[in-house]
Amino acid sequence: MARRGLLVVLLWLCAGGLPAQDLGNIQIHGFATQGFLFSSNNNYLTMQSTRGSLQWTEGAISVTDPLTDNLRFGIQVHMYQMGQLGGPNVLVDWASGDYKLNDRLGFRAGKIKITMGLYNDSQDVDSLFLWILLPQCMYGDDNRDFDLALEGGEVYGGVDLETRGRVLYHGYVGENRLDANGGYELQLAGYGLSFPTPPSGKIFGGDVRWQTPWRGFTVGASAQSQALDGSGPQGTLHMAPALMLAYYAEWTRGKLHLAGEYWRSPLVPVLTIGSVAIPVPADQRAWYSMASYRLTKKLQAGGYYSHYVNKAADTSLPANYSKDWVASARYDFNEYFYGKVEGHFLHGNGLGDYAVANPNGLKPNSNMLAARIGFSF
Amino acid sequence: MRAKVKTRAFLVGLVVVLACAAAGAQDVIIVTYKGTWDSQITASQLREIFTGVRSRFADGTRAVPVVLKGGPVHEVFLRKHVGEGPNEFRAHWRKAVFTGQGSMLKEFASEGALLDYVSVTPGAIGYVSRVNDPESVRVVTVSP
Repeated sequence: MARRGLLVVLLWLCAGGLPAQDLGNIQIHGFATQGFLFSSNNNYLTMQSTRGSLQWTEGAISVTDPLTDNLRFGIQVHMYQMGQLGGPNVLVDWASGDYKLNDRLGFRAGKIKITMGLYNDSQDVDSLFLWILLPQCMYGDDNRDFDLALEGGEVYGGVDLETRGRVLYHGYVGENRLDANGGYELQLAGYGLSFPTPPSGKIFGGDVRWQTPWRGFTVGASAQSQALDGSGPQGTLHMAPALMLAYYAEWTRGKLHLAGEYWRSPLVPVLTIGSVAIPVPADQRAWYSMASYRLTKKLQAGGYYSHYVNKAADTSLPANYSKDWVASARYDFNEYFYGKVEGHFLHGNGLGDYAVANPNGLKPNSNMLAARIGFSF
Repeated sequence: MRAKVKTRAFLVGLVVVLACAAAGAQDVIIVTYKGTWDSQITASQLREIFTGVRSRFADGTRAVPVVLKGGPVHEVFLRKHVGEGPNEFRAHWRKAVFTGQGSMLKEFASEGALLDYVSVTPGAIGYVSRVNDPESVRVVTVSP
């Protein structure tokens, strides 16, 4: 019901031809999207995609109030329904106070987005991207509430290197918890574990990126430490602090955009069921390379290849790798309304393919057609 | 008949070429609040102000960048001084808004409205195709 209400408000704002609302200094923005997946073999991201699924709806509204030149408050509420994930609950996407002392130093506190790699903090804002699905090896659509935000604080800023460009940095610390309706909880349920309170843990990390003197060319690196603990009637989950590293580069020149990233995440979650402790080691290594070109003012096209492998397991098994060739196009009908279409050629089922959504077993390969329309204001 | 078609095609082609040349040649005038200390800004400072990386002018006063909602002047400004197209520029600011890292720039439907705002708002900086009343705002030059 809440989901329907949110969508009605968003559609009313868009259908009325209203631009983003600026009530004095208060700004109100929002978006709503509807997706469609059709896959040849496996049901993807818990949707019944082999039959063609429209079970993918998202929406958000943000309110921002710049109280002074240096101080700003804001909140964004978000809902998503993706197959068995998400649901009608409206979640707080972020809610923060932001004090910017100057361009070199600022502070943000509350529930804040996590800067990790090129797109982690913005991956749930569909209107920003050509792609319907960002490379799932890093930006999985099935665990976004956990991966994207923390409750805590961060420092951020930039240093002007004059003729050598500019360095931007973020450093953050806090705590985050699994989404009760997210993919990790669904996977844990597959082991027979349930948690009255979603597992949570300390998280800290940082990101440094260099905007080089070569216009449009950025390189950077991120590091993050994440711990996780939870207990339920059937057992416990414990993950000692695990260090995740990311390296990336991005180049925009006129209508051309190129980007690539490499992430490594070695971690050992331990599940204890009764008196039996089961370590589930993973050494996740992922990279992608993407290119896109704006053909006309309204039409953009591109492709990427994303590669994931779990080096801690038998890499010859499809469950331990995922390789995805993607071709995509986007058409902007106007500044508010757009449509996208995308083809995926998936090899391996290590990402996005849930056993619970594929009771007859998983095939090693699957092709997929995705489409999505969205409003943003 | 055939010659007529050829002539018409030639004329249409000529008009398109001339229109493209005119659009390419079009420049924009950068304007700031008349009380702004400096009448010159570097290309990188201008780009950084409009991409949100820099929030102050070289003299330390707060910059308030404002933009046109669309149109050829907006596109020429973005292409020449920001290095982005209108879609990329919009996405850039939407990212700031939807990640809690910024607010959308103030937009104006006409150059007149933008000039009126710049003329009375300390720190405001924008762009237009021409300035009818040079006393109301400061025209700044962009140095490399």
